[in-house]
Amino acid sequence: MPNFITHEDWLAILPLLIVGGGALVVLLVDLVWPKHAPRYVSLAIGIAVLLVAGTFAATTYGRSYNAFNGGFMLGGFAVVFQEIIVVSAMFSLALFATFGRADRMAGITALMLWSTSGAMLMAGAANLMTIFLGLELLSLALYCLCGLADRPASQESALKYLILSSTASGFLLFGMALLFGATGSVTLASLALPALISNPLYWLGGGFFLIGIAFKLSLMPFHVWSPDVYEGAPLPVTAFMSVVTKAGTLAVFARFAYVVPNGHALLLPFFIIAGISMIGGNLAMLAQTDLKRLLAYSGVAQAGYMVAALAGASALGIRYAIYYLGAYMFMNLGAFAVVALLSTDREEGAQIAAFRGLAQRRPGLAAAMSFFLLALAGFPPTAGFLGKILILSANVNAGFAWLAVLLIAGTAISLYAYFKVIRLMYDRHELPGPTVGTRAPLAYAGVALCVIFVLAMTFYPLTPSNVLPLAK
Amino acid sequence: MALMLILLPIVAGCALFALPRGERLWSRVIGCAVAAATFAVPFLCDDAGGAFSVRWLSRPFTASLHFAWSGVSLWLVLLLALCTFCAIVATNVAQTRTLIALLLLLEGTMMGVFTARDILAFALFWDLMLLPPFFALVEWGTHRETAWRFLIYNFSGGLTLLLATAAFGILSGSTDVIGSTHQFAGSWAPWIFAGFAFAFAVKTPLWPLHTWMPATYADSPPPMVAVISAVQSKAGLYGFIVIGLPFLRTAMADWRGLIVALALVSLLYGAFVALTQTDTKRIVAYSSLSHLGLIVLAIASFNPIALQGAVVYIVAHGLFSAALFLILGYMEEREETRSISKLGGLGANNPKLGGAFTIAALAALGLPGLAGFAGEIVILTGVFKAGYIWPALITLVPIVIASAYMLRLLQDAINGPMIATLPQRRDLTFAEALAVAPLLAALLFIGIYPHAILTAVLR
Repeated sequence: MPNFITHEDWLAILPLLIVGGGALVVLLVDLVWPKHAPRYVSLAIGIAVLLVAGTFAATTYGRSYNAFNGGFMLGGFAVVFQEIIVVSAMFSLALFATFGRADRMAGITALMLWSTSGAMLMAGAANLMTIFLGLELLSLALYCLCGLADRPASQESALKYLILSSTASGFLLFGMALLFGATGSVTLASLALPALISNPLYWLGGGFFLIGIAFKLSLMPFHVWSPDVYEGAPLPVTAFMSVVTKAGTLAVFARFAYVVPNGHALLLPFFIIAGISMIGGNLAMLAQTDLKRLLAYSGVAQAGYMVAALAGASALGIRYAIYYLGAYMFMNLGAFAVVALLSTDREEGAQIAAFRGLAQRRPGLAAAMSFFLLALAGFPPTAGFLGKILILSANVNAGFAWLAVLLIAGTAISLYAYFKVIRLMYDRHELPGPTVGTRAPLAYAGVALCVIFVLAMTFYPLTPSNVLPLAK
Repeated sequence: MALMLILLPIVAGCALFALPRGERLWSRVIGCAVAAATFAVPFLCDDAGGAFSVRWLSRPFTASLHFAWSGVSLWLVLLLALCTFCAIVATNVAQTRTLIALLLLLEGTMMGVFTARDILAFALFWDLMLLPPFFALVEWGTHRETAWRFLIYNFSGGLTLLLATAAFGILSGSTDVIGSTHQFAGSWAPWIFAGFAFAFAVKTPLWPLHTWMPATYADSPPPMVAVISAVQSKAGLYGFIVIGLPFLRTAMADWRGLIVALALVSLLYGAFVALTQTDTKRIVAYSSLSHLGLIVLAIASFNPIALQGAVVYIVAHGLFSAALFLILGYMEEREETRSISKLGGLGANNPKLGGAFTIAALAALGLPGLAGFAGEIVILTGVFKAGYIWPALITLVPIVIASAYMLRLLQDAINGPMIATLPQRRDLTFAEALAVAPLLAALLFIGIYPHAILTAVLR
């Protein structure tokens, strides 16, 4: 095995180098600009950097390359996850147009970019070290971003996230150490040895590893951080976290799930947790009064759906998980963009009561919000509907019909929670809430784009082939 | 062309929201024009039911956006277009524009259900058709829970339908099967059928899944309830006919005893409860439960004659229940009450209203010469022929009771002494008469010439 690094290796991680380096450019521009760089300059550089990185990553689609001695895999699903991460980072950055202090915008943009590069690293990570590196890069930047707003809740959320997430990282790292002990290697490919089944270290290490993953995916018993953190963090950061953290972690989980021997026995508890998330996340949604918390619990359930798609590690399952993740990205970011349009930096309009009578004040926004909530609930003709049916069929096909039944039950429960908001917007008996909010053109464009994509994905279901989570 | 049936009302419905909020005249004109156009579409195009097909999914099972009409679905398409037209002509509520837009959206989505040749497309429009009534209940309903009850019951049905569709697709490889002779059997078949049947039974509704229905019918604005009771409730029966009978025949046969029992209970229960109600809309709502039970019985008897009768009765029930609910709506608008104890003697000063209501009520109780009788007699013949002698005999009881509650309604509201406290308002306006006349004419036509529909089923 050649033990040196070629330029090919650097080329493989060029997209994330662009993103990481772009962050430095943003900071430099801010430095040389008299006083501070204006808000739009930082954001424009950030979005441009992401566009370049996204375009470059797209050119590697279908190319298979094993960089850094199996530390980073090009090919398979890596590029699809990277695109999802880049697109959602762009959306979230665009939402910053009306949030946060202008003089901090360069720092915010840089942190977002670093966080994005961490998630992109996770998308291609194929050994335990790069997984951890990516995860920490993602999380460290997020800790800072969560505490950005000048509200006590924001600082509280940052601290909570730091403590709980570090604990989870501890579990993950411990699991990795045990897995290393079992195999003597850090590459995921070495986990494929069937002989491992008789090794208790493998079971213990795998268990700890999965607990860490479940925490980052906010699956049900490990989800308690997510509503509090989502509620306190500034809105664009919440939007970013809700998709990017899930995307990066789902990529890691998929790579792990498709490689371990005797996956059924080790992963079965994980799929049970996914089932619990579908029911519990949707049940908890019923009691929420804050939309960010509601979307946090919705995210718990949706993560459950995505993990469920992977049950049985079928070739179709991963495609549908990716499809659903893409759909979830647009539905979720669209909903956050609507909330952003109803908020000012001082006052986030995320209280569900703020949606009262919205249809009379801003009918277009009310219609868009209803559309996204319907999509999250799985109503046709949205990508949420098709995504659910694809996951259901993958489950039935893989012999996990019980997960399909749980999915249906969870969806039935979620209906009331989503429709509560929709009804509040349209009910003429409700007194209209106060009219706050902005009319940022960027956020409007985001809402429109999300609507178009959610609709288009229904009738042109792009489920990219050639997306198996390679590990060798 | 089948796509026109779906897209035209949906696009027009969305476009109506661009009109000013309080608009009345133009939204009615546009709504009527669109409904009339959709009624004309099947006559304009004769080639293979206006088939339209585009591949949608190729994995994990093949599915197409495939739409066409034939046989039963053609009659439901015509019924839907007619009922939508009649509901829109004289719509007069607060926010008329919004209601007409919702009616058009309802028409478009239900056209999707009735013309879908693919079960996945069928499921898509099935869920979609639940939204307009929900928003109508939110906007015009008087009770908060009604909208929830409607949505949660029906969408739960939609979800089991979705699960059954996914399982059906995976196990048979394709959902593009409606209208083909594909048979599906195996150890999963009874459960897949149960998933479909639950959705259909909620929508129809069958006892004991009917509890959302009376409240929804009583609380919705009359034009909306006319379309829901006349056509949307038929979506479940249509599902039994085009999905249950052909593909899951053996599985349906396994559940047959239960279906027949529930149908008989619905028949009797609906009829007896209708006797005790005092709210005019609820009387007709429970009578619907009873009549639809008869149709389910006919379908579950697996007899071709009974099936023909079922289709005739589906159309007949659509016509008379639309007419009844529309007229009850006009009555409520005039007298500001729905209680039969407060109504009385309306016929004396409102001959047109009284006459129209009498014809519709007589059709509902099965007077020979009107469409209801034609359906009932064919169904009874078929059920009897299929060997269900006792059920056929039991069926006679609610048919007799139907005369009792319909005549009671007629007696208390239209005939009898005039009540002094009741405001005297004018008779049916031209628009209102125009709304009811086509329904009554169609009732008479099918009553005299049911052959038109009977042959359609055989094709």
